[in-house]
Amino acid sequence: MPEGLLTILRLCLLALLYLFLWRVLRVITLELRVERLAVPPVGTGSPPPARARPATTDRRRGGGGRVVVVEPSARAGEAFALGEEETIGRAPGCGIRLDDTYVSQVHARLYRRDRRLFVEDLGSTNGTFVNGTRIGGPVRLRRGDRLQVGGTVLEVDR
Amino acid sequence: MSGDGGTFLTDRRVRELGLGLLAALVTAGGYVLLALSEAPALPPDLWGFLAVVLGLFGLGHLALRRLAPFADATLLPLAALLAGLGFVTIARLDLAVPPERRLALTQAVWVGVGMAAFVGTVAGVRRVRTLERYRYSILLAGVVALLLPLVPGLGYEANGARLWIRVGTLNFQPGEAAKVLLVVFFAAYLTDHREVLTTGSRRLGRLSLPDARHLGPVLVPWGISILIMVNQKDLGSSLLFFTVFVAMLYMATGRLAYLLAGLLLFSGAAVFAYRNFTHVTDRVQTWLDPWADVQGRGYQLAQSLFALGEGGLTGTGLGLGRPDLIPNAATDFVLPALGEELGFAGTLAVLAAFLLLVGRAFRVAVEAPRPFSQLFAAGLATILGVQTFVIVGGVTRVIPLTGVTLPFVSYGGSSLVANFVIVALLLRISDETARGALDDARRRARHLEPAAVAP
Repeated sequence: MPEGLLTILRLCLLALLYLFLWRVLRVITLELRVERLAVPPVGTGSPPPARARPATTDRRRGGGGRVVVVEPSARAGEAFALGEEETIGRAPGCGIRLDDTYVSQVHARLYRRDRRLFVEDLGSTNGTFVNGTRIGGPVRLRRGDRLQVGGTVLEVDR
Repeated sequence: MSGDGGTFLTDRRVRELGLGLLAALVTAGGYVLLALSEAPALPPDLWGFLAVVLGLFGLGHLALRRLAPFADATLLPLAALLAGLGFVTIARLDLAVPPERRLALTQAVWVGVGMAAFVGTVAGVRRVRTLERYRYSILLAGVVALLLPLVPGLGYEANGARLWIRVGTLNFQPGEAAKVLLVVFFAAYLTDHREVLTTGSRRLGRLSLPDARHLGPVLVPWGISILIMVNQKDLGSSLLFFTVFVAMLYMATGRLAYLLAGLLLFSGAAVFAYRNFTHVTDRVQTWLDPWADVQGRGYQLAQSLFALGEGGLTGTGLGLGRPDLIPNAATDFVLPALGEELGFAGTLAVLAAFLLLVGRAFRVAVEAPRPFSQLFAAGLATILGVQTFVIVGGVTRVIPLTGVTLPFVSYGGSSLVANFVIVALLLRISDETARGALDDARRRARHLEPAAVAP
């Protein structure tokens, strides 16, 4: 067996080894991103995810920020950029249009006051939930918060 | 699986299959390279070998599909990769010894037994809660397992440590089983008593100490296991037990005082052992300066360091180094044997695999919804992590050498079986967690009414 060929094969084996590790890492990061689909339990009083931190990231003028779909998994990862104010609903005019039978025509709205993001329910049938708790009045949203409207769960990303 | 949330989680088995195939490919690649170093031909039993590797992985994979479909996707492939690399290293070391001292076939059989134990655990332990209920029976089993090697006629001594039993032709190290059993007990006990252990009921200056009544039941089994370990002269396991115990106590209570107390207890015991047991003194001396007696006590460690150095960046190539010069290369010193021929890059990959394995195991613990599951998973993760650190640190001269196996990689049946059981238990906990999250999502979905008619 020529030595050069053995060397090449040896490097191939090492490359394969690292490919395996890379694939494992990919699976792990993918799950970290999407695993948040595990919606926080409703009404069990369990605290919201600890990684919720004050939304300090929004330094750009006007809106900025976005929300990402985590459930249904078929649409997971789909993102909606946020302006100064967005309505969420099934109606064609909504800024965040969700094709979900459990979402009302005009379900809720997201808006900013002093660079802070708030959500307010607009009298929807099934209500709006933040981290598993149904909201009454406007509620401030921070990065990492889960917003559930109907059967759709959105996560505040930035 | 129906329902929205299910799609993603059932994908886990698909991902596991992909990773497992890749791990099998790496193992087969190593096997081929090993054969090529001997003769310019593919190994004659390559297809048989590949069939066995895939068959063993497939067995575990199918068991999970049926019995724990939502469990983590990475643990089994990582274990498979490490076991595969271990087998290749052991097969490599076999090339240098006469046929009657070859170990690879035995190791292959033990991987098979380990896989059977894996399937048995996934099938037998359907709910983690069952283990919690039988805590005292499990404690008893653990203590008996620890004591077995001391029974005359059954136990025997090898390499200066009395930790083996022989039943017929079968040799087994019951301490490996005891490890898992005692973690079950610790987790259950600490879950029940952590409030008391956390609040503390006696004050000593500024420190509040838990009442002796609450600590006693923990300290007693710990003391017994340490005592037995010292009697059996098995330093590695003794260290492992103690570290895991202190770590679990800290994780259950969040009190730094336990860590400090543990460190103090450990230091005291270490100094005492150094002064009073010659084999401990030897180990420390060798660690400080292996070159002082390089033909004698320091020989093994020196060979280990030479092997790692010889490997360089990408290794000498499988079958082309001299890892057989290291004494005990198949068991405790499997990492330098592998490191010589796969180099720094290969060694780093193996360590990365361990890092991912232990990291995922802790992730399982963090995600688990119930305190017992959390503590149990964290304890199992600690076993894997500490054991890897103790032996890797030992052979690379970071810490004094204490003989424990490198999980999944080293030759040794009891250790393989125990580690496969640990992974099976972690997967069971992971599956329960995911199942719970799915049920919650479904329950919530049922409470919704269609909004199609609403404004």
